[in-house]
Amino acid sequence: MKISVNWLQDFVKLPPPIENIAEQLTMAGLEVKKVEPWQNKKDILFEIEVTSNRPDWLSHLGVAREISAVLNLSMQLPEVDKALNRPMPSGWKINLKEVEGCAYYSGVLIEGITLQPTPEFIRERLEACGVRPIHLIVDITNYVLLETGQPLHAFDADLVGGQEIQIRKAKPGEKFTAIDGKVLELRPADLVIADNERAIALAGVMGGKDTEVNSKTRNIFLESAFFHPRWIRQTSRRHTLSSESSYRFERRVDPEGVGLGRDRALWLIQKYAKPRFISAVIRAGRKPTEVKNTIHLSETLIEKVLGTPIKSSQISLILTKLGLTVSKDAEKSWTVRIPSFRPDLTRPIDLVEEIARIYGYDKIPENLPERAPLFKPRSALTKLEEKTRHFFAGAGLSETVTFSLISERGLSRDAELKNAVAIINPQNKELCWMRPVLLPSLLDVIQHNLHAGIRDCFVFEMAHTYAQGSREKSPAEDRVLAFALFGNWKPKTWLDVDRKAAFYDLKGIAEAFLQACGIRKFEFVSRPQSFLQPGISEELKVGQDILGVLGEAHSRFLSLWDLDGSVYFAQISLSKILPHVRWVPHFSELWRYPGIERDLALTVPEMVKTGDIQAEILKFGNGLIHEVRLFDFFRGGRIPKGYKNLGFRITYLSRERTLVSVEIQKLHSEIAEAMARKFQATFQ
Amino acid sequence: MSESVHEVRHEAEFRLAGVHTAQELEAFHVHFLGKRGKLASLMDQLKTLPAEAKKDFGREVNELKQFLEAVCQSKKEAVGPSLVKTENSFDHSLPGIAPPVGTIHPITSTIAEIASIFERLGFEIVEGPEIETEFHNFTALNIPLDHPSRDSFDTFYTASGHLLRSQTSTVQIRVMQNRKPPLRIIAPGRVYRPDTVDASHSFMFHQIEGLMVDDRTTFSDLKGVLNLFLRELFGPQVKTRFRPHFFPFTEPSVEVDIRWGKGWLEILGAGCVDPSVFEAVGYDVKRVQGFAFGLGVERMAMLRHGIQDIRLFYENDLRFLRQF
Repeated sequence: MKISVNWLQDFVKLPPPIENIAEQLTMAGLEVKKVEPWQNKKDILFEIEVTSNRPDWLSHLGVAREISAVLNLSMQLPEVDKALNRPMPSGWKINLKEVEGCAYYSGVLIEGITLQPTPEFIRERLEACGVRPIHLIVDITNYVLLETGQPLHAFDADLVGGQEIQIRKAKPGEKFTAIDGKVLELRPADLVIADNERAIALAGVMGGKDTEVNSKTRNIFLESAFFHPRWIRQTSRRHTLSSESSYRFERRVDPEGVGLGRDRALWLIQKYAKPRFISAVIRAGRKPTEVKNTIHLSETLIEKVLGTPIKSSQISLILTKLGLTVSKDAEKSWTVRIPSFRPDLTRPIDLVEEIARIYGYDKIPENLPERAPLFKPRSALTKLEEKTRHFFAGAGLSETVTFSLISERGLSRDAELKNAVAIINPQNKELCWMRPVLLPSLLDVIQHNLHAGIRDCFVFEMAHTYAQGSREKSPAEDRVLAFALFGNWKPKTWLDVDRKAAFYDLKGIAEAFLQACGIRKFEFVSRPQSFLQPGISEELKVGQDILGVLGEAHSRFLSLWDLDGSVYFAQISLSKILPHVRWVPHFSELWRYPGIERDLALTVPEMVKTGDIQAEILKFGNGLIHEVRLFDFFRGGRIPKGYKNLGFRITYLSRERTLVSVEIQKLHSEIAEAMARKFQATFQ
Repeated sequence: MSESVHEVRHEAEFRLAGVHTAQELEAFHVHFLGKRGKLASLMDQLKTLPAEAKKDFGREVNELKQFLEAVCQSKKEAVGPSLVKTENSFDHSLPGIAPPVGTIHPITSTIAEIASIFERLGFEIVEGPEIETEFHNFTALNIPLDHPSRDSFDTFYTASGHLLRSQTSTVQIRVMQNRKPPLRIIAPGRVYRPDTVDASHSFMFHQIEGLMVDDRTTFSDLKGVLNLFLRELFGPQVKTRFRPHFFPFTEPSVEVDIRWGKGWLEILGAGCVDPSVFEAVGYDVKRVQGFAFGLGVERMAMLRHGIQDIRLFYENDLRFLRQF
């Protein structure tokens, strides 16, 4: 909100420099975001930020009151109409039908105004605060709103049907044309001001087009009321219609301000619009007194909360300056009466804050608490995440942070999205799914980098996946690790040739990662996944637990994301890894005897799985085989079609003795024979 | 040691490309055709094979030998006469070959840095769900429905009536519901608000919530802990200021600014836990007190690294990621 310094000067004499005042207000919680001159230094404007607990700051008078408290300055109130014994407006009456929505309503009939130009100071102050002057009467109501915080409304009395002002719920479907020309369809939850046939104002939000004051207006019905914050807020949100009035009513106006605002407006109208007649005030309802207006405060609470004592004299000075009435009950105990403009003060703790902020947060000493240690260990998941992050960065992948909300692109409502959580009010209409899988997000990353000219992309991320809970239960979240490879896994250098990433790089990373977690026994089992390419889709299992999946991204993604090469993708559940992690590696004795390496080159039919041969060799080793490593894989050339050539390097090793060459040679031959039998292997 | 014939052939073909000088040719010759060279070891291996395998293997080894001799001969002509080894022949300026090196995202490294500071102060890292209930995100935090204090907390809702948490304060509620004081926790994580994305806003970002509760923790302690934290994160010279503010879940509430260039920069929100929050989790208001704070991770990371645009964090451009 913009505050005019000239206007403030009507109520408090501000000692220069103005910047200091802004600073002091900020440090008391009324944040002045900007101090700027207006129109060649005719005025200075404060741009203030008003927190939702302080509607009383939404006016010049309220800000002046705060300044007088913070700077200990005396304060002058604006001039108001004080005339008594005016005649009642003949025939006019108020019919208050909805007392929750409107606790208190008042109005005055003003007749025979002359439409004068709006006085210069009103025009300038309105413009400085960003309000366009339109019409003397409207300008005066706006002026009073910015000055006192009380919204007013002026109806052209001759355009009101009949003389009864009703405050009622809207009828279902009732049509209302607002001042801005918008036609609204109302509901009974909307509060309206109505004449004998139609709604003439959407209470507290906006006046109606039909009864708007205009250049021909001579007679006015001036409204000043207290509308319920919730009613106004709901109507304003329902119709996405917000105004300076609704903004204040929904934050709660000062019930005492209803009269003040009205009387201030009457004073200005009397002076500048020269009316022939002003009626007595007609009223309905009662001013709300829902604010608990007395609080008992003990000094010990202040010290207990703030950690520092504050002197009694200071406490009473601060509270008094803020407009509260203070009386001492006993030693260190106070009774504090709260004025109507401070509905936010209801509990002793609220007063502690008031005392602290005026005393100055900066004056409260800082202290490092000395406490007994709590000795809470890091959670296993946090530990695993850190381990994972460092492993993957070390393995050459870059960590990403992508949005949890994704679009439907590439996914199917019958498959991946079947159990997914949908957002009903997305910011971006497309991004309405809480992702069940990280693949689309990592594809976005690959695509972005490709467009930036980076062809090789190896990335990982740890984040949640989300799924609907079963019936009454909350949605389920799982912390997963996802990683993807695209492009050249090995770059070309002057020493080495380049090589494209392959599924086996993905698999190798997964294996090395599990080993780093101390997991030795795991297996990869072929199993189709809707988002992976058929045939290149594996489940990662430890015992019966499925930890995750890995494979090649389904080809449909490549065209959708416009990628010209394969993407290898893995997603592993960290929470499912967790029970298998061996945090403290167990040492096994180093071998003392040398190993002997022998190679075995086999030609086998394509359908034979390398892993089966490897497992079979190991089984055959009588415990003397330390490792079976595939070092060569060959197709074509002298190898007949439908066959492949596999080169294994077998390391024979005993932990008890030195192996004899003859013994190994025998075993090696036996293995070769067994492979020939079992897998139709031949030796080229 | 033995190797298969065609692996040796592969290797030879590969190495041949790197032979440009007489010395390199000499090394090549020794490696493959020398007394203890690869060919010699294949010959040894031949001896151990059963008779039926010998024939094919022998033929292959022979072919390999012919190949190696032929390439050595042709290279010899190409490289010219042997030179005496000089210091010039070693080119130290050839580029080094870097191992593959990955990177850690500045958001997670900032979280780790902040978490480690609080861990040293005895705080424990905890987490909570991102899809939350109305109670944890609003009601328990003293943010009533239909109240203007909600305006700064626009929220994503799911079809099941849940919502995406708009702040990590939800975690303090969950922890307090399940545990008794004393508590010292920090809760990092993702939060969501339907904001239009621009250079300083995103509909998803990260927060760290902190909470310290026991029977004596005061505003003065809040100042001590947060000042220590900020000095640790931004350096001992950092200037801070504590400015009154309003949050529904703390009383007194404070915004903390740090001196940045010529002005002050809002860096985190904090305050003493409001008694109504303690009531909501079933604590005895008369016996517990403490403070809570919340900070934006992106903000901290932007300040630490001099990043101007929040969108860079979520684009994951490798030219960006590789700088961290």
